[in-house]
Amino acid sequence: MSQSLDKQCNEVKERYDTCFLKWYSEKYLRGTGTVDNNECSALFKEYNQCLQKALKERGIDKLLEDAREDNKENDAAFLGKKK
Amino acid sequence: MKVFSNAETFNYSWEEVSTANWRKYCPWNEKSTHVVAVDTLSRSVDPDTGILRTERLITCRQSAPDWLKKMMGGAMEESQVLETSYVDPARRTVTMVSANLTWSNLINVQETVVYRPLNAHQTQFTQEAQITALCGGWQRIKNSIEDTLVKRFRENAVKGKEGFEAVLEMSRRVFAEEREREKMMMIMAQAPNIRRAAAEADML
Repeated sequence: MSQSLDKQCNEVKERYDTCFLKWYSEKYLRGTGTVDNNECSALFKEYNQCLQKALKERGIDKLLEDAREDNKENDAAFLGKKK
Repeated sequence: MKVFSNAETFNYSWEEVSTANWRKYCPWNEKSTHVVAVDTLSRSVDPDTGILRTERLITCRQSAPDWLKKMMGGAMEESQVLETSYVDPARRTVTMVSANLTWSNLINVQETVVYRPLNAHQTQFTQEAQITALCGGWQRIKNSIEDTLVKRFRENAVKGKEGFEAVLEMSRRVFAEEREREKMMMIMAQAPNIRRAAAEADML
């Protein structure tokens, strides 16, 4: 797997990525399982706590807010939701 | 604005490609070394459509041309991209849209990548990037900035294809080994039953 932005998050990121990949190939692509309540969510929470700290330290959290705002059109187009 | 577009065919099923795509930038990919980190920011499945939406932060390290560094007065070495992807299992498409987070007051880069099946064994990759220099001033400078980025996209695309091919090949091998191991485990687990059945058959 690839590295994390912050070395400190690498270990939990690796565990999460491995868990996700297994879920994706064995469950999601076969039409079973939802992401919100699956076996990887505890790992994701742990990884995300580490990552959020790293984003804040580098000032990336602010840049992300703007970029997400700009991405709303894509969400509308690719999630296929009616406005 | 300049546009870079590219299309490739991978001789792997859409399922294999869309799975391997999550680890395109792992150590098996020795070509795309400009990507130094990939972090998942959020992930959810839309309950109505089943579409998997993922936000990832891609961190790149690639040095800029000297003239651009001088103009900006910085190293410009590390940059970040926000990638939002949508996997549609019904239509069997992966769509990834990316935008630059770094230097966004100077340049705007919007990239769209789509993976869709051509048939049961082949997957098509299409990529389009729109590059717009936003700085005021001479058109000549804007053109130079845009051209530099288009050139960079072209170089990275060649490396990206080679690197991803390596990841696909390794993924297929690892999955095959995994299946073989599972089969062996099942046979081992069945062995006592088979022996018992054989013993019973002997007694008859």
